[in-house]
Amino acid sequence: MPQDEVYEAMSSAFEQGAPVALATVAQTLGSTPRKTGAKMLVREDGSFVGTIGGGCGEAEVWQEAMDALDDGDARMVTVDLTEPVDGEDKICGGIMRIFVEKLEA
Amino acid sequence: MASSAEIARALLIAAREGPAVASCTVMGATDGVNAALGAKMLVYEGRNLGEIGGGPLEEAVAEFGRRAIPKHLVQTCAFTPDGQLVEGRRAIESADAIVEILVEVVEPASTLLVVGGGHVGLAVGQLGAMLGMEVVIIDDREDYANEERFPYEANVICGDFGEELEQFPITANTYIVLVSRGHKVDELALRTVAERGAGYVGMIGSKRRTRTVLQHLAEEGVDSEALDRVFTPIGLDIGAETPEEIAVSVLGEIILVRRGGGAQPMSEHGRLLAGKQR
Repeated sequence: MPQDEVYEAMSSAFEQGAPVALATVAQTLGSTPRKTGAKMLVREDGSFVGTIGGGCGEAEVWQEAMDALDDGDARMVTVDLTEPVDGEDKICGGIMRIFVEKLEA
Repeated sequence: MASSAEIARALLIAAREGPAVASCTVMGATDGVNAALGAKMLVYEGRNLGEIGGGPLEEAVAEFGRRAIPKHLVQTCAFTPDGQLVEGRRAIESADAIVEILVEVVEPASTLLVVGGGHVGLAVGQLGAMLGMEVVIIDDREDYANEERFPYEANVICGDFGEELEQFPITANTYIVLVSRGHKVDELALRTVAERGAGYVGMIGSKRRTRTVLQHLAEEGVDSEALDRVFTPIGLDIGAETPEEIAVSVLGEIILVRRGGGAQPMSEHGRLLAGKQR
């Protein structure tokens, strides 16, 4: 899967001296919307490029990315998609481990 | 020491233009293991950019990365701090100390060059586009080589097969499917592309017809090793009949070439069934 959009956004952020947070799917178990290596880049203003899987856990990861931009700590986030949300059926039904890191030029 | 900016630029170049690189990132480590989370090393054929802490671990990861490139691998791997690869969930869980490394091969999208814009070419291109390949369709008939005919992202070239194919850049990341209207065109196309190091060349046709084409080219002096590498008759044996099914069979074969695999049903039941149908 080509990731050039994410790398382009990263490069141009660094050219402007801005940090970014990068979320990368490190591991998946069961049925998940995206596979290992999928990436989402989050900027300080909260805007993002790329996806690690639409609604399924993405909001949670976005929040972790914002936190990482704040505190600078790399972290591994586990998103469990096997839990039904508000009585709805589980859509994805897998578990993703996502590595979230702050990067700056 | 490479800066994040240098690494980001290098990844962008790898994703846009190539050559492929194995990007290796430290993503985790057992408590107490001294590892720099987020450290990145880009492994190219013959050189590295960036570092992940040096020592035997870095050497082992670089070696692993180099071998990952031709396999287009994207995988999180576990290593001991002294550089032994640990495989299997049980072994990883019972190991005292583990460093987790994401190894991902970053490279431009592969090109699917479809020679012939007929029914099969149309379906092959559609499936290729779905798989994220850059699709190029060549035909010399305007009715079969116009943008409207292909309701997906494709670069449609209408022109003389020989001339267009001679000009077309072919690399190890180019996958060529010969599905033109007749064996004369296929023969001409194969003559033009056979010796140029494509990742895959497949040609449609019955065993008899394709054998005749290969024989002609061998007699003309086309390199016999190159001809041996042509996948013909094309595709996996899944009993495909319709153009769309043939496209699945062809792209299945291309995935097999890219990723490796057994090309067998995963299940025992499936293998028994496939055996019966032979």
